[in-house]
Amino acid sequence: MLWIISSLVFILLRIAPGDPVDAILGTRANELARESLRIKLGLDKPLINQYLEYLNHLIHGNLGTSLSTQEPVKEIISKALPASMELAIVAILIALLLGCLIGFLGAVRPEGKIDLLGRIFGIGTYALPPFWAAMLIQIIFAVLLGWFPIGARLPPGAIPPPPVTGFLLVDSILNKNIEIIFSSIKHLILPSVTLGILLSGIFSRSLRLNLEEVLKKDYIEAAKSRGINDSGILLKHALPNTMLPILTITGLTVSSLIGGALLIEITFSWPGIALGLKEAINQRDYPVVQGIVVIISSLVVMISVAIDIAIAYIDPRVSY
Amino acid sequence: MIKLNYIKNILNISGILLILFQLSCVQYKKRENIIVASAGKIESLDPAQANTIRTLQILSALGDTLYKINKKGNLYPSLAKDLPKISKNGLLIDIPLKENISFHDGSTFNAEAMAFSLNRFREIGTLNYLLNDKVEGIEVKDEFTIRIKLKKPSSSIKSLLTSVNLTPVSPNSYSNYKDSFNSKNFVGTGPYFLKSFNSSQQIIKPFKNYWGEKPQNKGIDFINYSNSSTLFGAIKTKQVDVLIANSIADMHRLSLDIMVNKDKLNSGEGPPTSIGYITFKSNNIPLSNQNLRKALSYTIDRKLISQRVSFGTREPLYSIAPPQFYKKEFSPWPSYEPKIARKLLKEEGYCENNILNIPLTFRSTVPADKNLALIWQEQIKRDLSDCLKLTLNGVESTTVYDQLSKGSFEAVILDWTGDFSDPIAYLAPLLSCTQIKNNTCLKGESVFSGSFWGDKKVQELLEISEEREGESRLNTFIKIEQLADQGSSYLPVWLIRPKAWSLKNISHPEFSGNGLIILKNLKRD
Repeated sequence: MLWIISSLVFILLRIAPGDPVDAILGTRANELARESLRIKLGLDKPLINQYLEYLNHLIHGNLGTSLSTQEPVKEIISKALPASMELAIVAILIALLLGCLIGFLGAVRPEGKIDLLGRIFGIGTYALPPFWAAMLIQIIFAVLLGWFPIGARLPPGAIPPPPVTGFLLVDSILNKNIEIIFSSIKHLILPSVTLGILLSGIFSRSLRLNLEEVLKKDYIEAAKSRGINDSGILLKHALPNTMLPILTITGLTVSSLIGGALLIEITFSWPGIALGLKEAINQRDYPVVQGIVVIISSLVVMISVAIDIAIAYIDPRVSY
Repeated sequence: MIKLNYIKNILNISGILLILFQLSCVQYKKRENIIVASAGKIESLDPAQANTIRTLQILSALGDTLYKINKKGNLYPSLAKDLPKISKNGLLIDIPLKENISFHDGSTFNAEAMAFSLNRFREIGTLNYLLNDKVEGIEVKDEFTIRIKLKKPSSSIKSLLTSVNLTPVSPNSYSNYKDSFNSKNFVGTGPYFLKSFNSSQQIIKPFKNYWGEKPQNKGIDFINYSNSSTLFGAIKTKQVDVLIANSIADMHRLSLDIMVNKDKLNSGEGPPTSIGYITFKSNNIPLSNQNLRKALSYTIDRKLISQRVSFGTREPLYSIAPPQFYKKEFSPWPSYEPKIARKLLKEEGYCENNILNIPLTFRSTVPADKNLALIWQEQIKRDLSDCLKLTLNGVESTTVYDQLSKGSFEAVILDWTGDFSDPIAYLAPLLSCTQIKNNTCLKGESVFSGSFWGDKKVQELLEISEEREGESRLNTFIKIEQLADQGSSYLPVWLIRPKAWSLKNISHPEFSGNGLIILKNLKRD
């Protein structure tokens, strides 16, 4: 699977119009300068040689060097990926909390006011274009009210703690740097809440529908006839059975977010992997694009396997 | 038990309040450094690799160049002691250097260090062709004199020596980087030294042993945001002190200017450094017909377009090189005259049930280009719908640059910023051509710019200009512009001035002659 993805990325990048030499030198450089840079970057070699070299390096864990900055791709990814993951994890937690709460309250009182508002909220989050929602939230809470910083991971002038995990919040806790801990939380709130709200719709709708379905099952009727009270039925019998699809959706959402939430990262100047990938594509920085795609694909595969294992563990009906 | 819970609750609430209090305090801590914001990341601080305005901006504070250009466009020595001494045949240039200057690492600046830096740029610099096209070799004449051997006389070399890319670096600190880039560090002679670097934030502090005028601030924090609205919001909410205009949307520029007019912000402008223009492909029908290209140059209402696209912040342009170089009123390209355009089109058999259709390409990633294309299209619909039609085509920037020299675009909207402050840095990249056949350029920069237009007289004058100085040199450029207007393979549209805004408690941003903010002059009241 990973071989197919990495080969496809390699081919697609070479087919796409645009030349990394142009991106580095500009269009004005003379032929000699262009040719010498092409040789230096190894772009003069036949495509098949470039491909075999790329695969050989990949097998040995070498993702290559950025064409534009000459920085190892591993380093570029190790700096950007934790930022995206930090944002994704907090956003998913917010989405789960908010979505499940709205969905649960809606299912408890079907067709009630909360259910109606929950439905509107769910549809609204689907319909809202992420960039527009992000800009709106940024304008209201950062520009007009001034409650939160406008973007980035830290305020200007703040020096981040030495990276241990790459997760700024964790690193600043490890470093016991109180000011950076609070600054990083403050900078994380707007982008993660925006992303969390946008993702919560799918959880609320899913939980609401699944819970409604489960509540009609025979074993719920049986529980009622045994005299178990409503909250007991909901919490002990219905809710655990609705969590399986939620777990699957969580896995898929986390997978999609591992590649970064591009529009959120751009709006809040969040230095994540998606922003890095966008810039690398613009510059036709082949090794960076290839490296990011391979790493993201690997993580997606790993998360999918982990989710499958978790489902098999939770649900005795599922076996592999 | 109840009392214990009560105490627990009190402690919890106090904890939350403490966190909120702490959160609200962090942002408003008194700043020592001045925070300067711009768009985009800075990936490398190696002058041999720098090619973006934002990188050149920070390098201009960390390093010095041999010469600098003042606001009036005149050259003055910086690290050099005096103006260059040029041999009679124009092939040898001796530059005396100032003494008692030290690098940030404590080592001495001398001719060895300057030669090391220039040769390093010639070897690995991404823009090394700028120097290699002119320079045969660089030698150390004595401890404080450097000698540049030229391949042929070049009057533009002096302006080239003002380029931030040629700022000297310490041979001591760069001994392991003779033939590779040192992206994350910089050791030069400038008024500031680099305190910390990452791609989205750079901190610089005043260098105590700086030889020249000391900075008027305690340091600069550069921060890089990824989009215009964040930058705009950042200065509006006073989260940054100074905002540099590169990549600021025209709408936000207008809002910032309104804030300046209401005395809520300060602003400063530099001399125009970027031009916006349209290239016409001249080696294929229909635009191989010079009359049609000429007709097109009469169809554009620059004033209207400037107003609609940029709310008047981009100045209409009627020459290829920014007009400040000519030091007088000079507008070779014609202004908006739809009647003349119609006459020319009629002469070529259009306008009577025969509409000339021109595909106009714009970079889809540049909003101003798209707006220019849309407004020009509508303007032509209004004035010349029976003669001319523009079909718009948005293409991603990288693809546009890749396809330019392949002749893929009949007409394409582009922009250009000169590599150094000299008319030739604008004229040569668009007009230079080394192999010409019937006014078609077969080999040269005109091919890379997508026009394929070549003129032997223009090429001859470009070469002659390198041997001339002063008024005579300027007159040569004026002739080149006039010939380029006759050829009409380019249509200059607008000029873009570098601009910056600062909070009221920060001084007005001042610009150097090459369009970069003089950071050491920024001060907090």
